[in-house]
Amino acid sequence: MSDGEDSCTAATEGSTSPPGTPDMSLPVAMDTSTDVAPTRRARRRAESQPEIEETPKQQQQQQQQQEEKGEEPGQASSQSSQSSVAHTGWGYWGSWGKSILSTATATVATVGQGLTQVMEKAETSLGIPSPTELSAQLEEEHRQDVVMDGSNEADTADDLSAVGGAMGMLSSLSSVVQSTGKTVISGGLDALEFIGKKTMDVIAEGDPGFKKTKGLMSRNATLSQVLREAKEREQLQTTESDASEKKTVAHYGVMFDDFQGLSHLEALEILSRESEAKVRSVLTTLSGDELLQLRDELDFIKDSFALVEFDDEDVDEKKDEDGSEFEKEFMEAVEGLSVSATAHKLMTACRSACTNVSITNQRKEEEESERTTHSVEEVHAAAIRSLAELTARSIELFHKVAETTLFSGGCTEASVLSQLTVLLCKELSLLSKRFTSCLTAAGANEKADVLNPLITGVFLEASNSASYIQDAFLLLLPILQISHIKRNAEASQQ
Amino acid sequence: MFPFCFTYANTCRKQTDAHTHTHRARSRVMEAIWLYQFRLIVIGDSTVGKSCLIRRFTEGRFAQVSDPTVGVDFFSRLVEIEPGKRIKLQIWDTAGQERFRSITRAYYRNSVGGLLLFDITNRRSFQNVHDWLEEARSHVQPHSIVFLLVGHKCDLEPQRQVSRQEAEKLAGAYGMRYVETSARDAINVEHAFTELTRDIFALVRSGDITIQEGWEGVKSGFVPNVVHSSEEVTKSDRRCLC
Repeated sequence: MSDGEDSCTAATEGSTSPPGTPDMSLPVAMDTSTDVAPTRRARRRAESQPEIEETPKQQQQQQQQQEEKGEEPGQASSQSSQSSVAHTGWGYWGSWGKSILSTATATVATVGQGLTQVMEKAETSLGIPSPTELSAQLEEEHRQDVVMDGSNEADTADDLSAVGGAMGMLSSLSSVVQSTGKTVISGGLDALEFIGKKTMDVIAEGDPGFKKTKGLMSRNATLSQVLREAKEREQLQTTESDASEKKTVAHYGVMFDDFQGLSHLEALEILSRESEAKVRSVLTTLSGDELLQLRDELDFIKDSFALVEFDDEDVDEKKDEDGSEFEKEFMEAVEGLSVSATAHKLMTACRSACTNVSITNQRKEEEESERTTHSVEEVHAAAIRSLAELTARSIELFHKVAETTLFSGGCTEASVLSQLTVLLCKELSLLSKRFTSCLTAAGANEKADVLNPLITGVFLEASNSASYIQDAFLLLLPILQISHIKRNAEASQQ
Repeated sequence: MFPFCFTYANTCRKQTDAHTHTHRARSRVMEAIWLYQFRLIVIGDSTVGKSCLIRRFTEGRFAQVSDPTVGVDFFSRLVEIEPGKRIKLQIWDTAGQERFRSITRAYYRNSVGGLLLFDITNRRSFQNVHDWLEEARSHVQPHSIVFLLVGHKCDLEPQRQVSRQEAEKLAGAYGMRYVETSARDAINVEHAFTELTRDIFALVRSGDITIQEGWEGVKSGFVPNVVHSSEEVTKSDRRCLC
């Protein structure tokens, strides 16, 4: 809207890395992965017989890991706290998600550019431990316990305490670990935490004005336009790759459109723009005290559009597995909005997403006996599809709220909408966590350069989904404002 | 200007390219290919059966009971107008009730074509056709819109209140085609949409309708190299650029 923002955006674009970087950094990722996979297999085979020679190398790895996380090596307390972070998890990732969410103003386009680069950086040049690498390390740690239980007294006191610290955590888990492959999962989560932290750092570096970047409504290009263009580009690429007999990966944009998310967004934008123009024209007809009073009232509505802080850390992966809790809270929130049909559609989407998660999980457990496991691509596709559907339904819901508010002239509370936004974003975050867990489990035998992009892809689409929902929420502001003006006018006539 | 998610998804694909190609993925992609996307709007009095007609067309089924449409709903389907030439129809299903009129007006602008429905067993809905046409034409400015007049519920012949002759006469006066359909018995539903699509396609081909920046009525699709040889595609692409 103002010149200041434009220059800020320009600065962001200017400070991103040169376009050559991604290509150059790709081989690095490949190297790490080819390194990791064979070693891991070798370690697997060695499981029955403890290998003492390998221990120093493991410790080195551990130390490296600790150094990467910026902690003092060899301290029992820090080791155990680190492990607990790894297992209860999501510390870093959580705060990343939160920052994105509380900065609802982050624009899709500018942040997007920053993040593409971030992802490349995070995955390659920053030397992030890959999920497989990490899970291998966790297994190592576990095996080390076994070694320690034996008669390996030769270790230094430092190592003893370091391993001992981890042991408490791991031994309590060990029974579960072997039966459900939880080691692998938490390994994947470590990598994601790492990405989250690095992502946040790089965003902050690359865009000092990040938090001041203004939202969707102040930009010239509308959100649905940007999405549509992106979708078209995707389709072009899909088509091209099809012509050259290449494999395709699930496309969020295409699916989002299939669920009519783009259309609802466009319609919502139309209504929002019209209402905004109406509000402006009403303001020009007023003067003096009347104008001041209306301005105050409109500002009050605007203030209530500030998002409630969303604490990602209390999103517990294990909680609410069938989505019934979300269902209850959601139905309470939409009760007064008279959009029951759309709310029902959203509920169905949510339930099918939960079913998808449990199906993929189930297959994973059967894996041992039958070879009917889902491929990582299938799990990824299910994840992207669920995210796209839930997001499309959320935007449909906001579109319907806009329509009912406009025609009924009823009083829609901004606080209810804001609560709804937070609820939906939480659910998306929860879903993405569950799906990436499935993905990590399904891809236990995949190379890191196959699995990592899929996992980060799911998380990024989830964070995008949250941005779309928040943008849609912000589009409702002018609609509530014009509805307020209409109600005032009707009241004064009576 | 593109959200990173898409750029990122491409990176994913590049990395998995080396792996085997599944046939299923391919056929799904093939379905998604179309020459153009046309946006159609469906209007007419409430309870003439707009949503039922669209559902029959897009979902192939007839809903005995359906809730009145609130504002607008969306449907889409691919239509093959000639072998190998697919058009994606994006259908905006508007609410017929008077109380939604102020909202639905806002949605007309980006449509290239429309179906104007009346119920052959409801004379009133036929009398309102003129008003609907005026309303639509005034709100699509500066663009124009191609309409097809549809006499719906033709399975209810005994209750007919509007004769085919007078409907055809009215349609002729406004330069529209006239089709009688039934969503319940699936009569002429396919025909109605395909005819309208063909008419619009002819106008696009002749250059009477052009793809415009900032107008969603007609969008150019993406065509793989194999189909790309067809003349109108390359021609319209060129026009699109200038």
